[in-house]
Amino acid sequence: MFPIIAWHLISLELLMTFVLVSLILAAIFLPKDTLDDWIGLLSFLALSGLIVFWSGQDHLSGMTFNGMFVMDSLAWFFKEIFLLAMAFVLVMVRQYSKSLGRRRNEFYLLLWLSLIGMCFIASSADFLLMFIALEILTISLYVMTAYLKSDKLSIEAGMKYLILGSLASGFFLYGMSLLYGAAHSTHFEAIQHFSATHSMTMMTLFALVLIFSTVGFKIAAVPFHMWVPDVYQGAPTPVTALLSVGSKAAGFVILIRLFLGVFAPWQSQLSLMLAIIAALTMTYGNLVAMSQTNIKRFMGYSSISHAGYMLMGAAAGTVLGVSGINFYLLGYLFTTMAAFLVIVVFSMATNSDEIQDYAGLSKRSGVLAFTLLMALVSLAGLPPLAGFFGKFILLMAVIDRGYLWLALVAGVNIVISLYYYLMIAKRIYVDLPRNASPIPVSPDMRLVLGAAVIGIVTIGIVQGPFLNAAMTAVKGMFLLHP
Amino acid sequence: MINHMLSWILLLPTVGLGLLFLVPAGNVPLLRRISTVAALLPFLLSIGVFIAYDHTAGGFQLVEKIPWVVPFGISYHLGVDGINSLLILLLGIVSFCAVLISDPVKDRVKEYYILLLVTVIGAYGAFLSLDIFFFFFLHELAAVPVFLMIAIWGSDRKEHAAMKLTLYLASGATLALIGLIALYLASGLHTFDLIQIQQYLAVHPLPVASQVWIFPLIVIGFGITLTLWPFYTWAPEGYAAAPTSISMLHAGVLKKMGAYAIIRFALLLMPQGAHIWMPLVAVLAIVNIVFCGLVALTQRDLKYILGYSSCSHMGYILLGLACLNTIGLNGVVFLMFAHGIMAALAFALVGFVSRQTHTRDLDRLGGLIQRMPFIATCFMMAVLASAGVPGFANFPAEIMILLGSWGQYRILSICAVSGLVITAIYMLKAIRLGFHGDIKPQWSKLTDARTPLAKLPFVLLLAVLLLAGCWPSLILKHIDLSTKTIVEADHARPGPESTR
Repeated sequence: MFPIIAWHLISLELLMTFVLVSLILAAIFLPKDTLDDWIGLLSFLALSGLIVFWSGQDHLSGMTFNGMFVMDSLAWFFKEIFLLAMAFVLVMVRQYSKSLGRRRNEFYLLLWLSLIGMCFIASSADFLLMFIALEILTISLYVMTAYLKSDKLSIEAGMKYLILGSLASGFFLYGMSLLYGAAHSTHFEAIQHFSATHSMTMMTLFALVLIFSTVGFKIAAVPFHMWVPDVYQGAPTPVTALLSVGSKAAGFVILIRLFLGVFAPWQSQLSLMLAIIAALTMTYGNLVAMSQTNIKRFMGYSSISHAGYMLMGAAAGTVLGVSGINFYLLGYLFTTMAAFLVIVVFSMATNSDEIQDYAGLSKRSGVLAFTLLMALVSLAGLPPLAGFFGKFILLMAVIDRGYLWLALVAGVNIVISLYYYLMIAKRIYVDLPRNASPIPVSPDMRLVLGAAVIGIVTIGIVQGPFLNAAMTAVKGMFLLHP
Repeated sequence: MINHMLSWILLLPTVGLGLLFLVPAGNVPLLRRISTVAALLPFLLSIGVFIAYDHTAGGFQLVEKIPWVVPFGISYHLGVDGINSLLILLLGIVSFCAVLISDPVKDRVKEYYILLLVTVIGAYGAFLSLDIFFFFFLHELAAVPVFLMIAIWGSDRKEHAAMKLTLYLASGATLALIGLIALYLASGLHTFDLIQIQQYLAVHPLPVASQVWIFPLIVIGFGITLTLWPFYTWAPEGYAAAPTSISMLHAGVLKKMGAYAIIRFALLLMPQGAHIWMPLVAVLAIVNIVFCGLVALTQRDLKYILGYSSCSHMGYILLGLACLNTIGLNGVVFLMFAHGIMAALAFALVGFVSRQTHTRDLDRLGGLIQRMPFIATCFMMAVLASAGVPGFANFPAEIMILLGSWGQYRILSICAVSGLVITAIYMLKAIRLGFHGDIKPQWSKLTDARTPLAKLPFVLLLAVLLLAGCWPSLILKHIDLSTKTIVEADHARPGPESTR
């Protein structure tokens, strides 16, 4: 007897798999010399179609595949984030193509594969599916990180990511098996039932710590952040962007599903641990970011600190806190993508990722300088940009929960981060360029940069609709603990 | 248009800002013209608001409200009472003059005016907003533009000064933000609407245990903006390095936002916290007055003298806030206005001088009155105003603060009076060394402000200073009912003991 499968719930993943297979087939039949451009174009068109399609599917809700696959508002929200992030990454890849060399059609296929992995993560309702989806994402990321075969840093990055990533996967499996031992199931609903009816024991705590270490690895939380700087610096820039937005968001959807859904009855015992990790993460990221000279490495440390801010929402563990994470991620998506778009264009034109080479950027390209300024100011969390309101919600959530100290730590961190973001703003607007040759920006690139800036400003000023989306995502969440 | 007068104040300069983006960077005359109009129109409207506000009725008028972020109770909510209608008038005057004196800027003109207008729009919005969230949002809008303006068009150690100023202000703002969020959560109303929170808290005051820690967060946070001792060091350096327009705007208006926020959010909403903490603030205020005054005595740089002087005079504002009575609070609001005009005038004059001399060092200047009689006379008047000579607006303001504080802080008031003497000493010294005496040969080519347009900002500021000084009731009548509401609301409530 076959179970009844609600295919419409899994429509996005089916369509994406279909696109992936079609692209593989197309790669066989299309002429070799123009193949890479064709695959890029087709990928972008397909993705645009999927974004439009998915925007209209926010009503989907239900479970299928014997309860392994869940479609709820949270999954919808995160898949939308993944799709948007991927759209920016595709634009970057096109800009970056010179460095990727020939036969980069495989790169597009890997991107699609990682996207499929992320979407399955968002919809997992069972540890087995979650693990498989996580591996699909991570393995494609390993390959993409080491894609610049002649670049030592890229190979090193791929190797580091692989070793630490496999360790994290191992922890996840270990934690999962311990939990299975306790709850006799890998299904989230059963485990939540278990956590609601049993108090936490040493064994379950150990399992949770193991699972959290994997999540911490994905979102780049201290002390699981070691891979971040080297991998961010060495990976091809579009992959860095994907790591810092897509992969991080995937980590957060796991965090929300598990620690604020499945293990929510134990949240009060875990809250302090999360709060301390949040404080350490943001402080470490900010302090080390200050002394960086390479912009990708800098973005790596900055991304660690932002993981810390978002963890405040998890420490609060309330609907407000989780909405804060969601809203923050949405703003972070546009902000970080804007920054990485500039980094890609700049490094293609100048062959440099050194921060000192950004001196006088405003004289070389007004568009790039302005976009980067907006991105930096939004990362620093100043109004009227997206980063401000995200931090505002998160601060509100932790103060509401009674963690005034965490809010003060975050406050100190916001000021520290303002220092180094403004140092770069100063470099691009005040300092004189060493080499004053203008950097050309193609009209379509201007369009994308403009879109990113409009996103940052719109989310920052018209917060209402985005906040509603972020809150709806939490309120309609499967296994939401009352 | 009358119904949405306050929105127009925000909208018109925003339209100007949009136009500036469209004009090519090379077309300097057009850029200047647009910016001047974009500063003039809200100035005229702010005069209109000042006249339209019915001070016999009191309360908030010309209110506009549009829900913005419903789940948090954030709304676009504008309105004026006696206090902020006076402050936007101050902002109108100072911002218009700041745009007028920007004519000599030749480098990156487009960016200059864009950043200046963003600063001005943010300040207008913050003063007009009756929503706590939007107050903070717009108050922080100036942070990056001010940083960039100091770092690009500043002088001396401009980058260091810009960073220091921005980080100090951001630290203050973050503290204040945490305090405001705590206040929002503690009220339990799920709204940032100032009027609703005020009405609710008037009946159900916050528990003293919350007021005790929320109050200092807000007062220290906004106190940093107001150069509360010992958090003042950003100001002299920042003002010295900043381009003239930013010195004028910041020392004149943006700084006052700290006092405004303390009145609106701390005094009004947490009276018991005020009773507990204000004596400490009064002591710090005296340190401000005396310490910063003494430091000003030792300075040789004109802008540093003005910067320390401005920190010193903020001490009177803090002292007035600490009085918690009507006459003191009236003095505070009056002094915010008077000092704003005076500081803008003084910084504009020093900017005018140093643009030609390329130095502000008193030892190198001297005898400038022979080449610049108009500027020197204006500076003399500004000095007299600052020293609290009757006839200028600062006199009635400071005397009211001293009267207000006499009842409660007798010894402190006596110390505060000494601040006026110190002011007179360093200001007269500046006049003597800088403008009187024999002229040095290298200054023989200096020119005075000649055209009416060049004189206009100085004349305008001076006229306001004299008008308010000679006819103080014009302003006092305007603000009296609003300040009374704040103070009386405090006294009407039960004391700290009875709510425990």
